[in-house]
Amino acid sequence: MTDFEALRAAVIKGKRNDVAAIVQAAIDGGEDINLILDRGMIPAMREIGDKFSRNEAYVPELLIAARAMQAGLALLEPLIAASGRKSMGKVAIGTVKGDLHDIGKNLVAIMLKGAGYDVIDLGVNCDITKYEEGVKQGATIIGCSSLLTTTMPYMKEVVAYFKDKGVKVVIGGAPVTQAYADEIGADGYSEDANGAVKLIDSLLKTA
Amino acid sequence: MEPLCGRERVGRQLKHLPVDRIAVSEEFWSYTIRHWEEQGKLPPGTDAVEHFKLDLDKCWAFNLRIDPEMADRLVAEDEETQTFVDGNGATLRRYRSHASTPEHINFSVVDRNDWEEKAKPFLTPTANRIDFEGYRAVRRACADAGRFFLWSGVNVFESMHPICGHENLLMGMALDPEWVSEMAEVYSDLIIHLWETLFAAEGKPDGIWFYEDMGFKGRPFMSPEMYRELIMPAHRKTIDFAHSLGLPVVMHSCGFVEPLLPYMVEAGIDCLQAMEVKAGMDLLRIYRDFGEKIALMGGLDVRPVANNDLPGIRRELETRIPVVKGRNGFILHSDHSIPESAEYESYRYFLETGLELGRY
Repeated sequence: MTDFEALRAAVIKGKRNDVAAIVQAAIDGGEDINLILDRGMIPAMREIGDKFSRNEAYVPELLIAARAMQAGLALLEPLIAASGRKSMGKVAIGTVKGDLHDIGKNLVAIMLKGAGYDVIDLGVNCDITKYEEGVKQGATIIGCSSLLTTTMPYMKEVVAYFKDKGVKVVIGGAPVTQAYADEIGADGYSEDANGAVKLIDSLLKTA
Repeated sequence: MEPLCGRERVGRQLKHLPVDRIAVSEEFWSYTIRHWEEQGKLPPGTDAVEHFKLDLDKCWAFNLRIDPEMADRLVAEDEETQTFVDGNGATLRRYRSHASTPEHINFSVVDRNDWEEKAKPFLTPTANRIDFEGYRAVRRACADAGRFFLWSGVNVFESMHPICGHENLLMGMALDPEWVSEMAEVYSDLIIHLWETLFAAEGKPDGIWFYEDMGFKGRPFMSPEMYRELIMPAHRKTIDFAHSLGLPVVMHSCGFVEPLLPYMVEAGIDCLQAMEVKAGMDLLRIYRDFGEKIALMGGLDVRPVANNDLPGIRRELETRIPVVKGRNGFILHSDHSIPESAEYESYRYFLETGLELGRY
């Protein structure tokens, strides 16, 4: 019998070895991998994300929780593939052309993976062709990040390009605002990494 | 009041003493200055501090890299970017054509063991870390022009993340706080020892300017408790040393650092600089909450300047300067720096409007 509460707590506290031990024991005990994910690990990452939004947790706590989650996911991944578990959705994320900054984009990717999404990390300096590669790999949502006021305008081109192509484009980053997202017709904007998860939940109606 | 020189003006403002007008300072992207030179708005090789008659100047005199002798080594390149390994053993990618925060590819120090082996033994206060000549030249130019002269450089947070990267450093703060405390102590001691050597050889500056980016959009990188426990002791040590020499301390931080500010004030800063509006910093709120204790420099949204929106520039300045000049401790500066999209006339308008509103 898996102690999901202990698993959840270990992820939240960033106890990587404890997470790996609990997950391994659960696998060995024949536990349903959907329960390991849906009752233990994913709710833990959502909880740390909510604490982040409330300023009860900061980036260090977020990073060590994600690292602990990854320790468990590494054990589960071969089984997930074999189980036919349906993905919550696939998101392609990248920093826009002209911008090499990746910390914010990485945080969003971490939180999306923690929430159960498949994430295609396109890296930095992404032009439309690169975003399109993500779509070809099955992404239905594109996430664009920028740090600089000078690179932000490229988001408008990305939004315009993917309009009417059945792909939603969401944006974020230091200079980006909801007003700018509205102005360029983006499908959504988020202030922070946890908000990005909730935004994509709402767009895919998975929450 | 008789007109003051920049040195007098800034020195008095950092103590909240009456002045003739608010002082002015600014930072420009290198490509901004190049753009203006290409347009013929600035003669080639112009010193922006001199051209715009700014009240202060600074000199970055220390090299705190693990290997101060190592020049950046090119390891890869493509049409747009170049990838270097620097003197910290970090691999970074930068654009060829314009300034940008580099992409962090790899770091040679990721934990305590790497630190002990690859960094700590080499962080010694040797003279080859100091640009004596550069410091002497800017100090002399400031003295000749009556400008306030600041030694500038990084404090401990901005020393640590270049060797191990933000992610490793921030995880270290949670997983191995003693390691981070020790790194902070080593760097603060290094800075102080190098100051002793430099100031003995060349004389003191008028003040100290620390670059210490501790926030991003909407929040600091660390909790206030982590700041207080792991970073603040090193800040206090370096600031106390500066104060013992009679030097006021300006601290620059990008991002939203308001939650850290009570402790930064407790650590002894005399002035907070930058206050990025787009990250959530609010000059009027900070002035209300901290304006009696510290001077403020910046906090004026650069976006209207970047967008060449003259009415927007005036609106931004008119709603803030008349309030924040109230305690004599406000210095005109954008909330970060002037990007290359800003036309010369837009910055000129920002400067002149700010000075007009900043008269006493």
